[in-house]
Amino acid sequence: MQDKGYIRYRILRLVVMFVGAVLLIRLFSMQILSDEYDARATSNIVRAEIEYPMRGEVLDRRGEYLVKSRVCYDVMVIYRELPKEGFDTTRLATILEITPEKLASQLNKASKSPRAPILVAGYLSQENKLLLDEGGFSGFHTRFRTAREYPRKIGGNLLGYVSEVTPEQVSRWEYYEVGDYIGVGGVESAYETELRGEKGVSYRMYDSYGALQGAYKDGADDILPVKGAQLTSTIDARLQEFAEELMVGKIGAVVAIEPSTGEILVMVSSPTYDPDLMVGRQRNNNYAAMMHNMRQPQFNRAVKAKYPPGSTFKLVQGLIGLQEGVLRTSDRYPCNGGFSYGTRKMGCHPHNSPIDFREAVAQSCNAYFCYVFRDMITNAKYGNIKEGVRVWNEYVYSFGFGRQLGTDLYGEGAGYVPTPEFYDRGYNGRWNWGTVISCAIGQGEMGCTPLQMANLAAIVANRGYYYTPHIIKHIEGRDSIDARFYQRNYTMVDSTNFVPVVEGMWRSVNVSGTSRRAYLEGLDVCGKTGTAENPNGKDHSTFLSFAPKDNPRIAISVYVEHGGFGSAIAVPIASLIEELYLTDTIMRPQLVEEVLNFTPNYYQYDKKQQRYDADRAKSKK
Amino acid sequence: MISDYNISRRNTSTSLFGAVDKVALALYVTIVLIGVMCITSASYDPEKGGIFSLSHNYMKQIIWVSISWIMATVVLLLDRRLFHMFAYPAYALGILALLAALFFGREVNGAKAWFEFGSVRIQPVEFVKIATALMMARVMSDYSFNIKRLPDLIKVGAVILLPLGIIVLQNDTGSGLVLGAFLFVFYREGLSKYIYFPALFTVVLFVISFIFTPLTIFIALLVLFTLYNALKTGEVVGHFRFLCGVFLASLFLALVTPMSGYAALMTVCGIAAVVLAVLAIKTRTMMLLWPIAMFVYAMLFVPTTDVLFSHLEEHQKNRILTFVGLVDDPRGVGYNVNQSEIAIGSGGMWGKGFMEGTQIKYDYVPEKHTDFIFCIVGEEWGFFGCTVVVLLYVSLILRLMRMGERIKEPFGRIYCYSVAAILLLHVLVNIGMTIGVMPVMGIPLPLMSYGGSSLVAFTLLIMIAIRLDASTNENDIYI
Repeated sequence: MQDKGYIRYRILRLVVMFVGAVLLIRLFSMQILSDEYDARATSNIVRAEIEYPMRGEVLDRRGEYLVKSRVCYDVMVIYRELPKEGFDTTRLATILEITPEKLASQLNKASKSPRAPILVAGYLSQENKLLLDEGGFSGFHTRFRTAREYPRKIGGNLLGYVSEVTPEQVSRWEYYEVGDYIGVGGVESAYETELRGEKGVSYRMYDSYGALQGAYKDGADDILPVKGAQLTSTIDARLQEFAEELMVGKIGAVVAIEPSTGEILVMVSSPTYDPDLMVGRQRNNNYAAMMHNMRQPQFNRAVKAKYPPGSTFKLVQGLIGLQEGVLRTSDRYPCNGGFSYGTRKMGCHPHNSPIDFREAVAQSCNAYFCYVFRDMITNAKYGNIKEGVRVWNEYVYSFGFGRQLGTDLYGEGAGYVPTPEFYDRGYNGRWNWGTVISCAIGQGEMGCTPLQMANLAAIVANRGYYYTPHIIKHIEGRDSIDARFYQRNYTMVDSTNFVPVVEGMWRSVNVSGTSRRAYLEGLDVCGKTGTAENPNGKDHSTFLSFAPKDNPRIAISVYVEHGGFGSAIAVPIASLIEELYLTDTIMRPQLVEEVLNFTPNYYQYDKKQQRYDADRAKSKK
Repeated sequence: MISDYNISRRNTSTSLFGAVDKVALALYVTIVLIGVMCITSASYDPEKGGIFSLSHNYMKQIIWVSISWIMATVVLLLDRRLFHMFAYPAYALGILALLAALFFGREVNGAKAWFEFGSVRIQPVEFVKIATALMMARVMSDYSFNIKRLPDLIKVGAVILLPLGIIVLQNDTGSGLVLGAFLFVFYREGLSKYIYFPALFTVVLFVISFIFTPLTIFIALLVLFTLYNALKTGEVVGHFRFLCGVFLASLFLALVTPMSGYAALMTVCGIAAVVLAVLAIKTRTMMLLWPIAMFVYAMLFVPTTDVLFSHLEEHQKNRILTFVGLVDDPRGVGYNVNQSEIAIGSGGMWGKGFMEGTQIKYDYVPEKHTDFIFCIVGEEWGFFGCTVVVLLYVSLILRLMRMGERIKEPFGRIYCYSVAAILLLHVLVNIGMTIGVMPVMGIPLPLMSYGGSSLVAFTLLIMIAIRLDASTNENDIYI
């Protein structure tokens, strides 16, 4: 009996040791062999939080703020952290500046994913954030953000706006995560990488109730956010505001460039919009309203629209003629109310006849430039007309037409210059100089952006070259902007040939011609009007100008859709902008008044709008 | 091999404290102190007041430790015959206390198993363990007791089942299971090993019946038992034929009659079992009866489990389901275990250091100072700390068994074994549950978990064993 008991004692001893061994083996595999638990322990307590940087600000050329960043907060709720006994919802709604119904619906949304932070309200001001913190609303957290602010409320299209990234953008670029902001359009988009800065991340420890317990590893792994770079724009805010005011009620664009640098002083696309509309809680409504506006306030006409350049293009035509030797400045051509070819006739307005090149520029004679164009493309040295048009194309391209200029503007358009191939397609290969003659006076298939036209003004002002127009002249933390903006781009026309053109433009303003209203005493303004025919209604009014004649400081293009004669509205607008820029004063208040009161009849747009509204109303039903 | 049987006292001093087993005492004190340290780590909160503020759980625990040690001293000073004498009244008192708790007690976590006196809560089941151990020792040490006799076996069975029944009624099944530890004692006292095999088989069947469908289980069992017999008898071909016959007959039955495959198999197996049993008895091949009996048992048991299971409480069901891996729900029932595994697993070799355990500090481990206190050892002291604690427990249990062996009279031996068995089961289930090898049963880690009644009860339990052991060389005549 003793013996058997002892054997069983030994067996039971083994059982006890076996139990101990099982526990220790399991512990060994968990604590020593497996890394899984370490990672899970860390992910239990540590949460990575994105620290949003302050988005870079934009100054105008004089150091005034065009775009400011202001601190604001997103208010998030984590549903399961809400107090069980409820809280003062009316007070919270007041602090958040939302209706109690909106708050209730957001809370309801949050209840579906109780552990995730859900946005309750955005754009909370700093003062209200303090109120929220004092209120001790548990479960509500704030996230630092910056919102845009526009002191002068100008340059809607020019500056672009900031919006939350779309899912497509998130999947396309690694940098962005859901909830990030991204620039849309204008400077915001073109300089996104400079403006956005670098997001930081902080690792914080939380207990199981979600209460903050401090920084993980005392913040050793944290990355501080880097503020976005401050940009200095070439825009003159005062001039921009003035130009926008002058363009109120008109559809079109104004672009002004400093010829000696290519810096864009003014860029207005009208109708424009207050950029502040694209910030804050009403943004979506405002955006929708703009989307339903048939005048398309969000379409940046200054860089995207394709307008027929009209008579302003005669400058290019003349220069090409002079360079190619088919025209001497002393050549006189007759104009009997137009240019007749075959059975057709290109009309012209009444003026003296015959006239020489300078006078033809000043008077904007259609017939004169038709002769020049005809002589140029039919020149025997090219062999045939196709080659002639091809050479003409090369010249026109060298003036920056028919292609993107390579500016730093977002969504720059190329315009259009018709090619021999285009005519071959259009006319089945059967066409002659008469078919394309309207190109001589900037009509027909030609399409230019207002920016390209302003660049033409700069080219003439510089007598033969241009600097690529740009809108940002300085990026914080960099010595220079892109090298392409410091290069002179020469046209294929020698600078000597520009002299008579400039003279003609000067005469047009200062002696007699279509641009007399642009005269400013002692400033030697040069200009060329344009009255572009178009199939939609009244002619477009356009004007190219630069001043002063020698050492020009401003080159400008104004384009007003359906504004009538170039002298009717484009000339006074350009002239007033030049006056303000060059003299810092406005001496012709009655002219300002006249421009402000001038509203073209946009029945085309109004009709379209009516139809569109009616369709929408119908589809809503 | 009597010469191997060499456990005897080195110390033959007759003074009481001289006779006390210092090793067991030292192990006990060490474990208690480690427990206090862990509770300190779990409950120190500077916002609650100074280090010695009584609002901290560890200060309360220190008070309980003091009370326990006073009581330990008293126990060591008592005459050992008292324990023998008090076995019956203690047991009766324990049963009464359980009943009182059942009818008048307070419900905590679904178990109506507590008395509340002011801020002190006492769980009588902790003390019933002592009473049952004493009672068991008393009954089994009876001069005429022989565990191999059925009436005696029923007697000890009743001693266990009476409190167990009340505890189950209290809805405190986890604590009740601890009484199963006495199987360990019965084995030492000579209970046939054949009783243990069906018990083990039952447990295995119980667990797998949740994982597999009955049909799968029976096919597996059929193959397993036939294979066992085939190997044992060497008649592989014959057994293979038998197996094929059973399956073909079931298939035939399932196709011809509207019976399901399961029902068909059961029917064929039932008939086969009867035929085989008759054949076996006729041909006197008794060894065939064993697997047949087991198989029939399984046929009865598995369907019963389903019925049994549907009568369990929701939380018990969930615990079992989570344990066998049928439910994987990290935020639900498995949450505690999941978090506890993370805490322990992240401890590494040396742990994160005293009060540095992030999972502990930031409250990711629930019940960290009571049932899951081993997490603190695991996270803050790593594998090193765990090894120390496990070895301390194993040493204490082995020491108690050794003490039992050297006590000459059965009362002391049975009592010591009971204590060892109760400790073993607690340690296995509690630590096992924190590392996911045992289901969550809500029983404390002896001497370490926070809680007065548990600490006092385990102290008394162990001190009585030490006291009985200390009497071995005294010359008192045992009654």
